[in-house]
Amino acid sequence: MDTDTLIEELKVKLIDILNLSGVKPEDMDAEARLVGGDLGIDSIDVLEMVVMVEKDYGVIINSQEMGEKVFASLASLAAHIRENAPASKE
Amino acid sequence: MSGPAYILGSGIVTCLGSGREATLAALAANRCGLSALEVFRPLQEEVLPVGQVAVPAGAADLPRTHRLALEAAAQAMAAAPGPPDAVIVGTTTGGMLESETLLRQGETDCHSYRFHGLTTVAELLGRRFGCCGPVLTVSTACSSGTVAIALALEMLRQGLAGRILAGGVDSLCRLTYFGFHSLQLVDRHRCRPLDRDRQGMNVAEGAAMLLLAAEPEQDDAPAILGAALSCDAHHPAAPHPEGRGALAAMRAALADAALAPEEIGYINLHGTGTRENDLAEARAVRRLFSRLPPLSSIKGATGHGLAAAGAVEAVVAALAVEENLLPANTGLAEPDPALALQPLRRPERRPVERVLSNSFGFGGNNGSLVIGRAGRVGAVSGNRPWPLPWLSIHGWSCLSGAGMQAQCLDRLLRGERVAGQCSASRFADRLDPRLIRRLKRLPVMALALALAMHEDSALETAFSSVFLGTGWGALSETHDFLERLAETAERFPSPTDFVGSVHNGPAGQVAIMLGARGANITFSGGDGSFEQALLGASLWLGDEERGCVMAVDEAHGVLSSLFDPSVAASAGLADGGGGFVLGRQPGQGRARVRLLFHGRADDGLLPAGLVRSCGGPEVLGRTCGLILAGLPLACREQAEKQLHALLRSGGLRVPVVRYRELTGEFASASALAAVLAARLVHDGEVPAGLCSPGCSLSGRRVLVLGLGMTVTAMEFAAP
Repeated sequence: MDTDTLIEELKVKLIDILNLSGVKPEDMDAEARLVGGDLGIDSIDVLEMVVMVEKDYGVIINSQEMGEKVFASLASLAAHIRENAPASKE
Repeated sequence: MSGPAYILGSGIVTCLGSGREATLAALAANRCGLSALEVFRPLQEEVLPVGQVAVPAGAADLPRTHRLALEAAAQAMAAAPGPPDAVIVGTTTGGMLESETLLRQGETDCHSYRFHGLTTVAELLGRRFGCCGPVLTVSTACSSGTVAIALALEMLRQGLAGRILAGGVDSLCRLTYFGFHSLQLVDRHRCRPLDRDRQGMNVAEGAAMLLLAAEPEQDDAPAILGAALSCDAHHPAAPHPEGRGALAAMRAALADAALAPEEIGYINLHGTGTRENDLAEARAVRRLFSRLPPLSSIKGATGHGLAAAGAVEAVVAALAVEENLLPANTGLAEPDPALALQPLRRPERRPVERVLSNSFGFGGNNGSLVIGRAGRVGAVSGNRPWPLPWLSIHGWSCLSGAGMQAQCLDRLLRGERVAGQCSASRFADRLDPRLIRRLKRLPVMALALALAMHEDSALETAFSSVFLGTGWGALSETHDFLERLAETAERFPSPTDFVGSVHNGPAGQVAIMLGARGANITFSGGDGSFEQALLGASLWLGDEERGCVMAVDEAHGVLSSLFDPSVAASAGLADGGGGFVLGRQPGQGRARVRLLFHGRADDGLLPAGLVRSCGGPEVLGRTCGLILAGLPLACREQAEKQLHALLRSGGLRVPVVRYRELTGEFASASALAAVLAARLVHDGEVPAGLCSPGCSLSGRRVLVLGLGMTVTAMEFAAP
């Protein structure tokens, strides 16, 4: 999966698991600040995303420092997943 | 009111041991009691360190929480001169550990869950030790034990009791073990509060109970000298980064004890070991104390006992004073320079007169106690019998299957059934979508009620204190957390559902929405949760302050009929709630309310004190225009007998409305009845639809009775 497709997929997932009602995928900027930005995403949401990333992509995000960097933006999250995802069977 | 609450007896059970002697020996040796989890077997490989107790066998039908509570209470009551006049227990787990197993087994018999409710812990202690007075349950997450003691202090000061058994208890369970882990707040190694490399807390179980009294038995007995509560009104789980609420609580506790910071000889920190808590608490401590006294967190030894923690640490503080022992900050290797504190690295033997002890919790809840020698200062205020003083009602709100406010109240006035589940879109539409994005049914109901009562009060500033009752807490979040935990073989517990599952979550959300930074107490007293919240407000509300008293419960398709026997016996699900904006200013507002009576009826009969506190049969017959009677379906027969006994007692000819026939069966139904009562005395008449043939109240009052094992009476009157 290329980065752009992954970002689009992540947008849909975030809207769902974080219940961002009223937000559409096209409203979300891949480079914009994700945590503490306009979407109102906070530390609990980050943890919910950590679970999703492990569950859906097999990528474990443990330490909080790493978490902050990873969740800087949708683009950084997608890059982290691509770099760390276990080899896909495709 | 001021004055101490003397500690006549205390009991303590933690992973350090059972009883004062064992605890003292472990603290003096700087021993860590944490070990790998054994209480239940996790499905995944990883096993985290916890504080667990060797709970003695016996009473095997009782849940672990209840057995822990009994053991600590038996120690506290060992030398008691008689039964306590009240019992106040802080707990968050109740029978959760056992219910988790039953739910996984697919158990559907309501009887199997009879000890699930938080209230059953306090009720067990009430029965075991012969308490006939109020038996209260507070659930304010990790400050619960401290809040229970603070309420006991105030109850003694106001002369409502001579002796009170108060404390906190929690057992380990999957909900808290995996919940804190899902928040990445658990240290995989044994926790190291205040350490530079600290990585979180360790969940623990335990219990501590204190027998508190208005009169000392010995002149040098340690006592609770002061207490204060506050709310951050900032975030559901994280502390305010500057420790705003923590500072307010500590400062007010010192003021309550009439002490200056330099008179504190030791601070027992909340010190959980999470990065955020320790930093926020350190900032608050440094702002209050220009010269820091010796301080430490004992959670590196005991782990974090959640609802038990505040009571455990109150007992430890009393031990420090009696035994001249300052406990060490167990587990500390390198103090975090960012905290700028010098925690005690080793236990120190030296006299200490007064200790400040902190407890903070989810929902932004903060509580601080001051413990020390009081000397004999004489009776605080003398015994003042019931009833409690009048509170003025400035606004109200209600919610039922029929809808909110007039949609609900107008139908009740016509005597029409409002039982059912209201669609969330009808009560949530006025709330900010961003505020409720992560919330499920119960917290949204609480927010809708809080906003509606604030608007109804037409007061410029919102209330600052919140007293919220809920029989069962956030069932949707609890259910969803446990279901996902089981479905994912315990790999992916939901952090959002865990934070939402705590009983004081809704009250914390109300505080955030309206900026309410005063006391924030959630009561989980079963069918009497609203009455307990009203009792809490009567005790705690400041003279110039306004507070919100409400109760709310959600109907849940799976859990309601398993946990609540009245729901199990009823035909359909119903939920809702109601409440008031209250103040102490006499003559103001639209109506008045006071709690006339709150007691237990273990023999099933009508407590004699009820009619007495109503002023006797003659006064009751003259002043009461209508009785709204709460007869929970599960104990309907017993409640009917009590009602008849009351009516017979003075040949009372007062019309009675059995309000659960209108509201349906749910724990907070009495809150709806209370709002109806307020409206009736405000209007001055009882419509024929509600109670044929209708009548003018002509200044007479409306009594809202709660019947069953716990008997309560609230009285409503025109201002």
